[in-house]
Amino acid sequence: MKCCINNLKEVTRLKIAAIAGSNANHSYNRMLLEFIARHFSDDDIDVIDIRQVPMFNENYKGKIPEVVADIDRRVSSADAVIIASPEYNHSVTSALKSVIEWLSYEVHPLENKPVMIIGASTHDQGSSRSQVQLRDILISPGVNAYIFQNEEFFMSDAAHIIDKDGDITNETTIHFLEKCMREFKHYAKAINRMVAEKKEANK
Amino acid sequence: MKILALVGTNANFSYNRILLKYMKKHFRQMADIEIAEISQLPAFSVDTPLSEQTEVWKLKQKVKAADGIIFSTPEYDHGIPAALKSTVEWLSYKTDVLKHKPVMVVGVSYGRQASARSQVQMRQILVSPDCDANLLPGNEVLIGNASHSFSKDGRLINAEARDNLENCFTHFVKYIQIFESVNKEGLDMSIKQPTISEAYINFPTGRLTLKEVQQIFSTIPFEIDLIDSTDHFAWFSDKPNREHVRNVASLGETVQECHPPLAVPAVMKIINSFRNGEKDVVTRPLWMNGHRSLIQYYALRDVNGHYLGTIEFTGSVEYILNLFENGAWSTDGNTGASKHEDASDNSEEADSVDASTGASESSDDDNTDNTSEVVATPAPAANDDTDADATTGASDAGSVDANDDEADATTGASEN
Repeated sequence: MKCCINNLKEVTRLKIAAIAGSNANHSYNRMLLEFIARHFSDDDIDVIDIRQVPMFNENYKGKIPEVVADIDRRVSSADAVIIASPEYNHSVTSALKSVIEWLSYEVHPLENKPVMIIGASTHDQGSSRSQVQLRDILISPGVNAYIFQNEEFFMSDAAHIIDKDGDITNETTIHFLEKCMREFKHYAKAINRMVAEKKEANK
Repeated sequence: MKILALVGTNANFSYNRILLKYMKKHFRQMADIEIAEISQLPAFSVDTPLSEQTEVWKLKQKVKAADGIIFSTPEYDHGIPAALKSTVEWLSYKTDVLKHKPVMVVGVSYGRQASARSQVQMRQILVSPDCDANLLPGNEVLIGNASHSFSKDGRLINAEARDNLENCFTHFVKYIQIFESVNKEGLDMSIKQPTISEAYINFPTGRLTLKEVQQIFSTIPFEIDLIDSTDHFAWFSDKPNREHVRNVASLGETVQECHPPLAVPAVMKIINSFRNGEKDVVTRPLWMNGHRSLIQYYALRDVNGHYLGTIEFTGSVEYILNLFENGAWSTDGNTGASKHEDASDNSEEADSVDASTGASESSDDDNTDNTSEVVATPAPAANDDTDADATTGASDAGSVDANDDEADATTGASEN
C-alpha cells in the first residue's frame, strides 16, 4: 500500500493553513495564530487573513471571488488546518461563517481535512461556545472536515496573556499549546493516511 | 401592531422570503408585517467606517419602531447564514435595539430537517446577553420539503404546516400584547397626556393650562423638537402630519444614537456652536416630502443666556410661499412707507411679512433678523448652513426619515 505522504521529512513537517476567524483589524485570534506560526517554525504554518473576503452570497453561481480562490488554494494544499474562532453573541462570527460558506459551495477544500479549532477571547469563557458551534458546522455534509477533539484550547483573558508584540510569555499556556500541536499533528497524519487509503480503495 | 419580518438570507431566491410574504398577506388582519431585506447591509466588522453604515442605521430604526420581529432562518452548513449572523451582530453591537424586543423564529428548507439546527442556533444567539431579546418560547415553525409545501404563487398549501403557523403566529401576537400593555401604562400614556391636567403655568405674560400648552404645540403649523443641554433627545411636539416622523421610543437617545451616521458631524457642529455661544440660529431651506420646507435650529437659552438645549423648528412653507408668489404682499410692497402703516394696522400680518419676505430675499441675513430679539447673531451662520446641507443632503434625498432624530437607530456604530 502506497501512501500519499511518502517522504519521511514531510511526515514530521506539516504544511498547516491557519485561518484567523475575525475581520477586525485588532484580533487576538489572528495574533494567536501568528504567534503559533512563529513558535512552531519547524512546521510550515500559513496564517490566512480573512479581512478581504466578501459576504457569502449564493447568487455567485459558478464562480468565486479571487480572494476566496486564493484561500481555496492555500487550504487545499495544506496537510491540516487550524481555525481560531472568536465569539460574538455566543456564536461564530459572521466573517468566519461566511468563509466556511464560500469553502463549502463551489469549492470544498475542507473536505476530509483534519482541523483543529482553537480560540481566544478577552472574557472568561474563551470562545468555548463558538468552538462548539464551529465543530457542528465543520462536520456538516457540505463541509465534511475531520475535527480534532483530544484537546481543547480556549484562551480566556487574551488581553493579558498576549502581549503588545503578539507574544505569549505564560509558560503554562505555551506548554499546553505545544501539547495540543503535538497531539494534533499525530491526528492529522492519521487522518491523512486514512483518507489516502480510502481514496486508494475507491479507485 | 407593527411587525418587522427579516429575510434571513441575501440570496435572490429563497423560500424563507416566500414564507414571510405569505405571512404578511395571510395575517394582514392581525398585524402590519413589513418585510425587510438584509442583502444591502455591509458585512459586519468593528472597523466599518460610519459613512458605510447608513443602511445599518435604517434597519435599526425599523427594528426599534416595530412591536415585534420575525427572523426567517435558512440553514447553511448546520448553521444560520453568515449574512444573517452579520445582521444580528450589527443589531447588537453598541446598541440595544433588540433588548426585550419580542422575537419569533421561523424557517423553511428543502429537506426534512426544515432548518431545525439553524433555528436552535438562532434562538441561542437571540437570548445571548448582547441581544437580550424576548424570544417566543416553543412555537416552532419548521417547514420542510419547501418545493412541495408552497404553491407556485407562494401560498403555503401544506394544511398541517398552515395550521401550525396560524397557531404560532397567534401566540406571538399575544406575546407581544403582554409587553405592549406593560409599556402603555408607562411611557406612552405620559406622552399623550400631560401628567397634571389641572395645573396652570404662570408666565410673566399670562397663564396657560398644561392642556393648552400641549395643544398649542399641536396646533401651530411648525413642529418642534428639543435636544436638551446634555445632547439627549428630550421632547417633540405632537403635531399631526409631521415632516419628521418621531417616535416616543427614541426619547432619551443621544444625538449620536438618533441621527443617521452621516448627519452626526453636521448636527454636532450646530449644537456646539450654540453651546459655546458662537451662534443662535442655523437655517436650512430644503425639499421634504415633496414640498418646500424650512428647518431652523435655535439655541434655547435661559434668561441669563445659559445654554438649555437646541430646538429644531420645522414646517412646510409651501403655503406662505404660494401666498407670496401669488402676490399677497405685492400691492403693499409698492410703497415702502405703507409697510410700516400696515404694521400698525395689523401687527400679526406685518410680523409674518417681515419674517417670510426676509427669508426669501436672503436666507442668511434673515437669520439675524429673525432672532434679533433674542440675541444678535453673527451672520457667518451661512458657512455652517452649507456644511449641514452638503453633508446631510445625500441622506435627505435617499429618504426623508434620514433626517430623523427619532431614529431609533441607536446606531451602535455611531457611538463608537
